[in-house]
Amino acid sequence: MEGGTASSVTIIILLPIFLPYPATPITQLPTIRLLHTVKFPLSDQLLMESSPPSSSPSSSPSMDRVNFRTQVLSRHLHHHPQTTDLLRTAPCLNYSPPELSNPPPNFDTKSLRKLLDGTSVEEIDYIFNLMIQSTLFCPRERGGKVFIAPDFNQSMEQQREMTVKRIEYLRDRGVFEGWFDKKGPEGDLWRFALAESVSVYDHSLGIKLGVHFFLWGGAIRFMGTKRHHDKWYKPTETYEVKGCFAMTELGHGSNVRGIETITRYDASTGEFIINTPCESAQKYWIGGAGNHATHTVVFSQLEINGVNEGVHAFIAQIRDENGNICPNVRIADCGHKIGLNGVDNGRIWFDNLRIPRENLLNSVADVSPDGQYLTEIKDPDQRFAAFLAPLTSGRVTIAASSMNTTKIGLAIAIRYSLSRRAFSIKPNEPEVLLLDYPSHQRRLLPLLAKTYALSFASNYLKMIYVNRTPQTIKTVHVVSSALKAVLTWHCMRTLQECREACGGQGIKTENHVGHLKSEYDVQLTFEGDNNVLMQQISKALLAEFLAAKKRNKPIRGLGLEHLNKPAPIIPTQLTSSTLRTTQFQTDIFCLRERDLLQRFVAEVSQLQAQGESKEHIFTVTYQTAEDLGRAFSDRLILQTYLDVEATVPAGSLKSVLGLMRSMYTTIVMEEDASFLRYGYLSTNNAAVVRKEVLNLCSELRPHALSLVSSLGIPDAFLAPIAFNWVEANAWSSI
Amino acid sequence: VLIKESSNVRTIILNRTKQLNALSLEMISRLLEVFHAYEEDPNVKLIIMKGEGRAFCAGGDVAAVVNDINKGSWKLGANFFSKEFTLNYLMATYTKPQVSLLKGIVMGGGAGVSIHGRFRVVTDNTVFAMPETALGLFPDVGASYYLSRLPGFFGEYVGLTGARLDGAEMLACGLATHFVPLEKLSLLEDALCKANSGDPKIINSIINEFSNTNPKLKEKSQYFRLKTIDRCFSRRTVEQIISALVSYKKEKEADKNMDDWISWTIQSLKKASPTSLKISLRSIREGRLQGVGQCLIREYRMVCSVMQGEYSKDFFEGCRALLLDKDKNPKWNPSKLEFVSKDMVDRYFAALDDKDWEDLKLPARSNLPVYAISKL
Repeated sequence: MEGGTASSVTIIILLPIFLPYPATPITQLPTIRLLHTVKFPLSDQLLMESSPPSSSPSSSPSMDRVNFRTQVLSRHLHHHPQTTDLLRTAPCLNYSPPELSNPPPNFDTKSLRKLLDGTSVEEIDYIFNLMIQSTLFCPRERGGKVFIAPDFNQSMEQQREMTVKRIEYLRDRGVFEGWFDKKGPEGDLWRFALAESVSVYDHSLGIKLGVHFFLWGGAIRFMGTKRHHDKWYKPTETYEVKGCFAMTELGHGSNVRGIETITRYDASTGEFIINTPCESAQKYWIGGAGNHATHTVVFSQLEINGVNEGVHAFIAQIRDENGNICPNVRIADCGHKIGLNGVDNGRIWFDNLRIPRENLLNSVADVSPDGQYLTEIKDPDQRFAAFLAPLTSGRVTIAASSMNTTKIGLAIAIRYSLSRRAFSIKPNEPEVLLLDYPSHQRRLLPLLAKTYALSFASNYLKMIYVNRTPQTIKTVHVVSSALKAVLTWHCMRTLQECREACGGQGIKTENHVGHLKSEYDVQLTFEGDNNVLMQQISKALLAEFLAAKKRNKPIRGLGLEHLNKPAPIIPTQLTSSTLRTTQFQTDIFCLRERDLLQRFVAEVSQLQAQGESKEHIFTVTYQTAEDLGRAFSDRLILQTYLDVEATVPAGSLKSVLGLMRSMYTTIVMEEDASFLRYGYLSTNNAAVVRKEVLNLCSELRPHALSLVSSLGIPDAFLAPIAFNWVEANAWSSI
Repeated sequence: VLIKESSNVRTIILNRTKQLNALSLEMISRLLEVFHAYEEDPNVKLIIMKGEGRAFCAGGDVAAVVNDINKGSWKLGANFFSKEFTLNYLMATYTKPQVSLLKGIVMGGGAGVSIHGRFRVVTDNTVFAMPETALGLFPDVGASYYLSRLPGFFGEYVGLTGARLDGAEMLACGLATHFVPLEKLSLLEDALCKANSGDPKIINSIINEFSNTNPKLKEKSQYFRLKTIDRCFSRRTVEQIISALVSYKKEKEADKNMDDWISWTIQSLKKASPTSLKISLRSIREGRLQGVGQCLIREYRMVCSVMQGEYSKDFFEGCRALLLDKDKNPKWNPSKLEFVSKDMVDRYFAALDDKDWEDLKLPARSNLPVYAISKL
């Protein structure tokens, strides 16, 4: 009994000390034996007698290690003020801030941040200021610095209440004033900046605001007409009306046209009657509906005179001013989720709810008082597309905020890797900084370069969105689909890598990297499931290709103009310097897109010739479609990167951008099997590519700190492990 | 600058009483030298900083700076600030504790040589202010670091209006670490010398022995206005801050108990240089997201632009009106907030367009204590 207790005590002591240093069994064994016999007075003696490992040439490396461990351990066990002087020589890990050990930036970090955040820098920083200075955002001191993050230890209901309080705080500071008044591209960019900056603090806050302002507010703005604007803009801006957006149902998500909620018109009273005909038609995941929303936009089939006119949107009140649920409406909670518990997702059933005729959002179609269906767009497909097109803004904000989340993860993991050491390469030497291991560089630095590339692409998406015209709607749709998918996938992947790169510390909620995964995960699904979105790209490219062929004209738009030129030739023997030229990078990305598109066209037409239906063909050609979707996205991202690079004058910033571009293209070539599968790279060249990744990693290493500093995420939004993690975990901090 | 040695304690005394211990270039150079030397000297464990006479320190000697610039080039001014800010950085990241005994006036540059240190002891007659916006300058000496870290938006209030704080208010907002009654101040100094220790914990407990831990805020203390200050000074722009204050005043007009605090606040903003207000607000907001080194580097850019006088000569006008001619009637140019465009503000934050000019190069630091690491 006693023996068992003793050994379990030993294990408890050993675990925290040995887990980070998986030493060989030989070096571990004697240490364990020592531990059994160590008594406090003895440990004092040990400290006095043992000289620092470096000055004991006679002892073997493993004995040095034993001594070292013993000293570290006795320090852990021993808390005696008199021994301060003795302990001075004891080996102890100190936090050394990366700022002091890394060279100062050799480029202007402010200019690089400006490339990322553009004209929105000031607005973003202003919102950061507001959040940092309010106790509602739960500031806490760790290791001498103040961090802000939601208290995830609160119950779901408490988290939801905090989200609302934070929104009200921001509203009271006048943050949302002019939400609907600010016009033009500047207005759009300002709204995006607001949405993105609050999400840096907490996704729940971002989503709750996004649902209210972008989805509810956007539906009023784009799907509604003047009568809706006059009535709803003001109370929406002041958050007096709390809106939500009831589109998804239990039975239908991505396939919006399949929803089952049905609305009929009663000409005798001039009212619409909304009904949930079956359980699968209950509205599901409706953000805001669980506790707070007073109004919703309801998506429903509209049946007029027995004819289904397709999906339309209506405004319905679901709660009164006191928060009581309205008659003929039933609401239930979606319950606890893997993340975003600060958002009150709910389910809604409508029991023949009557709403005024004017509540139909009638930008595309209307119903006259006597019950006639009126529309300018006769084709239901086109009508549906025109109807939903304005909602693209959701995908734009998701893509953009995925980059912020990625930046947070990378800033934390890279800063940690610049202060955390593990294993000595030579005996008696200090342990090596994580980021000085080529393997650790390989894990994090390509993701960093990629994040810059994808951030530039996200800015490009924002710009084509805010400057959209009826002629560019298709491009906006395709690019937003592609980038929403690629960027959110990149975000999840990066967070997982960062979590692993931070080791055990990545598990702690306060260190963000692990926890953010579950907060972020849903973004891969909502506003268009990533896999569904990617298939749309290939369909769109195919349509463009066939249309151009049919007209017998050069293909234009979506960046496909390179298809009109002869196929680029890839050198048979690649070298490091070739890999870094924009010519080669552009050539191989274009070649891949072009070849995959041709393969896709061939595959589809072959199946068509066999008499297969269009729908069937797309379900069986998904492999090529997927490769093509990737190829399109990667080529687009490279193009936007080159455009950004071109705006930067020659100098140190331009060279580091060039380095990151090469990293981006090289890592894509290394990671995407299609380059080998279809022979754009020979196996020899693939080996050159792989080697080049290593070179690029070591060349980016000196810039790592400056590159994460340029990401523009303030310290308060990072985590204790990004700074003085020794002090943050010190006994004195408990 | 006088220095008193008592075994391992060095007491640095600012001694230019006629000018209320305003920091001249000579004094700053001397302080830099001394601070560098003490860091290396194992015989020094603790630094005490105080002022001779009525004031701790009334600021940097800007009148002399203006005089130099008028006689020579703005670069003489730049040289002054480069030394001063380097000293501020050294103090902020110092490896040994500094105890500042803040008796009387602590303004501008005086705050710069004390607030960055580990212990700031205030007393009954302490008067603190960052009055730069009234002078056509902006709160410098790293103020964008320490003001921005005060509770809520108190830092914006203090930095933009130049409001004066007393000892109790300084302790409440965190600018001071201890409040020691005037009569006990010299006893504290003796006790620190006697203890002869460089251990922050021991120093802290010694100061605590003499401290009044909860000095009473005066009845009409502006610190009781924190809620209003937060509401108004959290706004995006100076214009919005003023209009929030004005509408608050209107709201409370019927309230007979309202004193003139709100009017004073609005008045002080209206009297200050519009350019100064705009660059100060932005400086504090940027400073909140930066380390102390970055703050000083940015402030150095700003102060050089001010000295260069290319976009506005308000600093020279402010010095003329308040320090030289003393007519207290500066003619600001641009004269109104709406004439100061975002573009003009941006220029103060950019590198100077001058081939000899360089960003402030801060000295390399190492072996920093936890306290200093967190400021980087």
